[in-house]
Amino acid sequence: MKENLRRKPDLSPENRVAKRRRERIAIGFVAALVVGLTILEANLAAIGGTVTFTSNIIIFALININVILIVLLIFLVTRNVFKLIMDRKRNILGAKIRSRLVLIFISFSLIPTILLFIAATNITTTSIKSWIGSRVGLALTSALDIARGNLEKEAGSLAGLAEEAASAILRKGEAVSLDAALEAVRRGKSPDVALLVVGKGGVLGRGGDVPGEITSQIGSRLKGLEGNLRRRGALTFVSESYVSAVRLLPDGRAVVALKTIPPHEVSRIREITKAYDEYHQVRLLDDPIRASYVATLILITLLVVFAASWMGIYLARQITVPVQMLAEGTEKVASGDLDVRLDYQSSDEFGNLVGSFNRMTADLKEMKQSLEDANVSLSATFEELRRRSRFIETILTNISTGVIVIDRTGRIAMINRVAERLLAIKMDKVMGKPYKEVVREEHYETVRTLSRELAETPGGQVERQVDLTVGGKRISLRVSVTSLQGDDGEYMGLVVAFDDLSQAMRLQRIMAWREIARRIAHEIRNPLTPIQLSTERLERRFAPSHADDPAFAESTQTILSEVGSLKNLVEEFTRFARMPAPAFKEGNLPEELRTVVETFRSAHPGIAWEFEEEQTPPVWFDPFQIRRAMTNLLENAAAALAEKGRVVVRVAHEPTLGSVRISVGDDGPGIPPEDRDRLFEPYFSRKEGGTGLGLAIVSAVASDHQGTVKVRENVPRGAVFEIEFPVRPKGGG
Amino acid sequence: MRYIAISLIFIAVLATPVLSAGDSPKPRITDIHGRANGKEARVFFTLRKAFSPEMVEALKSGIEISFKTVVRVERVHRNWFNARLGEVTFSRSVRYDALSRVYHLNRGKGAELFPDIFTALAGMTRYEVIVPLDYEVTRGKRYRAYVRTRLDKVGLSEPLRSILFFSSLWDVETEWARGDISAP
Repeated sequence: MKENLRRKPDLSPENRVAKRRRERIAIGFVAALVVGLTILEANLAAIGGTVTFTSNIIIFALININVILIVLLIFLVTRNVFKLIMDRKRNILGAKIRSRLVLIFISFSLIPTILLFIAATNITTTSIKSWIGSRVGLALTSALDIARGNLEKEAGSLAGLAEEAASAILRKGEAVSLDAALEAVRRGKSPDVALLVVGKGGVLGRGGDVPGEITSQIGSRLKGLEGNLRRRGALTFVSESYVSAVRLLPDGRAVVALKTIPPHEVSRIREITKAYDEYHQVRLLDDPIRASYVATLILITLLVVFAASWMGIYLARQITVPVQMLAEGTEKVASGDLDVRLDYQSSDEFGNLVGSFNRMTADLKEMKQSLEDANVSLSATFEELRRRSRFIETILTNISTGVIVIDRTGRIAMINRVAERLLAIKMDKVMGKPYKEVVREEHYETVRTLSRELAETPGGQVERQVDLTVGGKRISLRVSVTSLQGDDGEYMGLVVAFDDLSQAMRLQRIMAWREIARRIAHEIRNPLTPIQLSTERLERRFAPSHADDPAFAESTQTILSEVGSLKNLVEEFTRFARMPAPAFKEGNLPEELRTVVETFRSAHPGIAWEFEEEQTPPVWFDPFQIRRAMTNLLENAAAALAEKGRVVVRVAHEPTLGSVRISVGDDGPGIPPEDRDRLFEPYFSRKEGGTGLGLAIVSAVASDHQGTVKVRENVPRGAVFEIEFPVRPKGGG
Repeated sequence: MRYIAISLIFIAVLATPVLSAGDSPKPRITDIHGRANGKEARVFFTLRKAFSPEMVEALKSGIEISFKTVVRVERVHRNWFNARLGEVTFSRSVRYDALSRVYHLNRGKGAELFPDIFTALAGMTRYEVIVPLDYEVTRGKRYRAYVRTRLDKVGLSEPLRSILFFSSLWDVETEWARGDISAP
């Protein structure tokens, strides 16, 4: 089962390291202080011959400080262990291995330490018990008794000498000095034997050499034994450095015979006494001594256990801290933070691992930075390309030339709207398709011819005029085919450009017709007037004479009628040929058109005349020409409807194109498709009696306004004529 | 919480000796009296309950026991602070010599040897102290002696000193006791 490991949330890695360092220093300092103070206390106790317990404030203070420090040490280690337990409960990363290591260390140290503690306590107790056992005591007491017995025996041997000295002093009285009397008695004896006479004033007489210290002791001792001596008259007493016998004189003085003990014997006796004293002191202080040993052992055990615990925690941290740092670092790297740098200095494998991690993150960051830079550069390039592409697309979309791009595989890669319109194809249906599938069958020959010419042309470009029938409509196109080649000369495809020449050709035809009309008018008009005048004169002169001849009258009338017709024709020709240049002025186009419509509404009440207008800005136009064109269109509509039907005149504004569109729709019989191409040519008319100049004039007016005129089928029936020209033609404002 | 725990431990450590000393009989100074004359005062007093049975046993085991005593003489003012006239600090020690079976009592004038413990302990508990004064006493004025005694040293044998260096065997220390002294 996957465990959900948590991280310590509180401190940053730097603060944690600093805190641990402080703890280590504190523990080390406290431990060193404890050891140092303990040594100092031991030395202080050893320096003094006797121990000052309550008055020695320094030792008391040191002991208390030591205890406090030990408590502090215990607290620090216990706190660490407690934290470890809490970390384990909270499932902190690394807590398990740390607790395991600490447990191992404590186990390895605690078990032998406790065993050692028990053994040492037992040994100490046993040693003390054996030391204070009855046999040792008996031996020491016996030794002391033997020593004392020997000394008392020695002292007893001096009793006779003291008695002899006392007798001599009493016998000789004041005759001789005390020193002389004593010396006389001592003569012949051992040199270490001396005699003293001690009174209330101290030593009164002396025979032999006696150390001053012993003399003083004897005086003090006699003072303490005064009662006994008075009762018994004589006694002996011993010391570690001398033995003596005392004989009391009747006058209260005391005669002391003493013998000093040789130094080597004094030393032996002193050792026995010392051992005897120690034995009794140990026996007396059995419990405090054992408690002291046990306390010391407990202290050592605790120190060992805590040291082991702390060492375990320390070593565990040595392992888990870098692991935890690596885990946290990896997590940060995974979340995208590549600025992670682990601050862990060590010469071991963990140090190498952390170093490798830091190098890896640095490399990753560098690579990421490179990638980001490359991405930025690519994005900029891509954006530039896209901008250029959009720019080119915009150009291709808005130019009046149709463009088709064919890639190296022969598939259509791009087609603009003009090409769509000219060729009557839909972009979404042809994009990506091989151009051969798109080309209609009737155009195969044209395409084949172009391909052949392109292949034969060195420059990779061919241009020619092509007449096509698209959607039943004959159009003239100037087709330019250019072969695309890369920098290395590799073939990359074709660009086919189409220019619609139909309008231009129509204008050319109009202009030609105007010229023809002008010449015809000029050539016909001149003879018409003489013909008319001559005919009228013939009629005036010869009519009466030929009154009975109806042929004469019919002939002259016919001539005059036809001349009249010819004059009308010439007049029309003249008007068409002499159309003046438009005089643009800014005005209200819908209002102008409404006036024309209202005129026709009155003239043709059988027709429903509708006028629709959109919000239209002021337009620059020639009112005379526009009225004339509008009149021609409405006349045609009225003629087509024969006083029964509906005509809709609509004025619309195209803000995006900056143009206005005038449409005149009727629900008459409509225009056959085959007539639509020639509809705007002069002298083309299906109307009986029509001159065929009405729509030619409309077309001329549209051209003079830099616009176009089109005809299309009306739905559900009829035809719609549309004139479209700029709101502000060039030279118009 | 952490600081409360540390404080409790600290108080416990400091309070332990005080609580443990509560059961033992308290030594005290009694029968303070004396007289002042000229530039000295002679002060008498008795130290009671200074030697517990354990201390007597220790004494018999050869442990030297030493008391330090402070005697202070002050002139008593009725409506003012007392004026200190003189003070002496001295020690008395006693130890038992198992070989010669005598008690060595040291009252500052060399060792005095006593064959029995009663005499030796009497020497440790009955005091007659002469306190030199800074100036002569005035007849009819009130003077007062203040006395305090405490255990000074315990002479353990060498090995025991290193074992028991941190433990206090007995707690012998009197309060300040006082008694009027006459100035005839």
